[in-house]
Amino acid sequence: MNALRWAVLVIAVLVMNAPVIVTIATSLKPAAEIMSNPGLIVQSPTLANYATVVTVSDRLNVWAHLINSVVAALIGSILPLALCLPFAFAAARRGFGRRLLLPLVVNLRALPLIIFAIPIYLMYQAVGLLDTRIGLGLVLAVVNLPLTMLILLNAVAEIPRELDEAAAMDGARTGRLIARIILPTVRPALATAFVFGFITAWNEFLFGLILTTQHAVPMTVGASFFFAAGGGGVQWGVAAAVIVVASLPPVVLGLAMYKQIGRAMVAGAVKG
Amino acid sequence: MIAPKTRENRLLATPLVLYLLLLLGFPTVLNVFYSLSEVSFETLRTPRLSGFGNFTAVLSDPAFWRAVWFSLRFGVLTATVEVALGLFLAVFLSPLLQARPWLLALLTLPIMIAPAMMGLMYRLALHEFVGPLPYYLFEWFGNSPAFLSPGWVFWTVCVIEILQWTPFALLLFHLAYSSIPADVREAARMDGARGWRTFRRVELPMLMPTLALAAVIRLIDGIRVFDNIYVLVGAGPGGSTTSLPIYIYTAFFRGGSLGPALAASVLFAIAAFAGLFLALRAADRRAGA
Repeated sequence: MNALRWAVLVIAVLVMNAPVIVTIATSLKPAAEIMSNPGLIVQSPTLANYATVVTVSDRLNVWAHLINSVVAALIGSILPLALCLPFAFAAARRGFGRRLLLPLVVNLRALPLIIFAIPIYLMYQAVGLLDTRIGLGLVLAVVNLPLTMLILLNAVAEIPRELDEAAAMDGARTGRLIARIILPTVRPALATAFVFGFITAWNEFLFGLILTTQHAVPMTVGASFFFAAGGGGVQWGVAAAVIVVASLPPVVLGLAMYKQIGRAMVAGAVKG
Repeated sequence: MIAPKTRENRLLATPLVLYLLLLLGFPTVLNVFYSLSEVSFETLRTPRLSGFGNFTAVLSDPAFWRAVWFSLRFGVLTATVEVALGLFLAVFLSPLLQARPWLLALLTLPIMIAPAMMGLMYRLALHEFVGPLPYYLFEWFGNSPAFLSPGWVFWTVCVIEILQWTPFALLLFHLAYSSIPADVREAARMDGARGWRTFRRVELPMLMPTLALAAVIRLIDGIRVFDNIYVLVGAGPGGSTTSLPIYIYTAFFRGGSLGPALAASVLFAIAAFAGLFLALRAADRRAGA
């Protein structure tokens, strides 16, 4: 029975990760080998494709895309923390906003983003936020609000009431109380929400596609532009290397934190 | 004593509320207003209210209904398979996953990857000249289907979605399954139930809420699918893979038909809110019962 289990596991892992394996293999093939050998065994592995990727050219500036992604994803994952923590305190401790605001934020998860994309585009066009990292980051924060809210709400609710009640007795104002007692205690939750938010923001595609054109294009969109611009003559090895580079940051973060992320997902899922 | 607390609570919620009003509230109003107007990129500043013309245009567009049908079919099919497959893997592999939790990282790797990048990876893997999948199929069976041709493309995009998101269902089910208390299983065993019967009578009912939840999340994500299909085939041969978001996107950016695109997104929003409302009502009623 256990042998059968191992067989199913190996097959599941290989099939579900097949595109990843294919892409890594292709990224290691020299240009000449790609057409002659479409198989997975690389005959003369090389890092030449990666060297091409990191070299700035007029077809691809990977560094610009990476910086855009980092900046936008940082805004998109830190802003929700700042917006949600004060409210999470009011909601968890005083039941504030539990009837309207909290369900509204949590259920944003269920709405198709495209319904906001076009009006935000028009709005950004009017105020000059189109094709800027700040504009992209501001919107990515929307995507992260629901899960951030749930993670922080659970974390605040788990702090023993005596802790901040004692501080309140001592005459500490709410602002100080949040800064001195709540903030340090929920630090692990903040870290989880941040990493999860960063991955989500990095992987987002639709808003990047619609709201950026040139200066603020994030990595995911840049990679797809590289494919599209190639037309019939896509340099497959370089294209594969671009995909690997674009996928690496979230995968590394995700693998490093997969335990916390699993738990966070469940927390979000159960309460959502 | 109550008044200052309320004021303080409002203050604590203010940043969030302001942000929501600016980034979602205002755009939504804009959306509704423009969808009722005669508008183009040239007349953005001076739209003229024109009633429901955009809505009748969308509702009488066969391509819109094809997109609705595609999204629904895609969502229901992928969510069903993902939940079933995820449940099977989570339960069948649970002895291995309990003993070696790191195996879970290998199984859930696909959900860390951007769906758009996953789509590009498949563009490579399925390519007729350089893709390994067609290559091996030719090697072993002497033939390979044209995965992105009109006859195949629907199934291809379904399988791609399923392979990337079954791990999500698996992860939820694994955590729910391993949190079933040992004494519950023990009690079932004392009663003489074992194997399949324990699963059917004891474990499955306990997993039901998680199952429903995973199904709802995956259904929503399936209906609003965009990234992976867009980078792989775009609207697809003859519009065959045009999901609702792809319909709206193409109408807006390619077709330049602003009004209908906005009307379609308002309709989509109403449908999403209605669906959400019904789902929450159902959940409430069940919790209350």
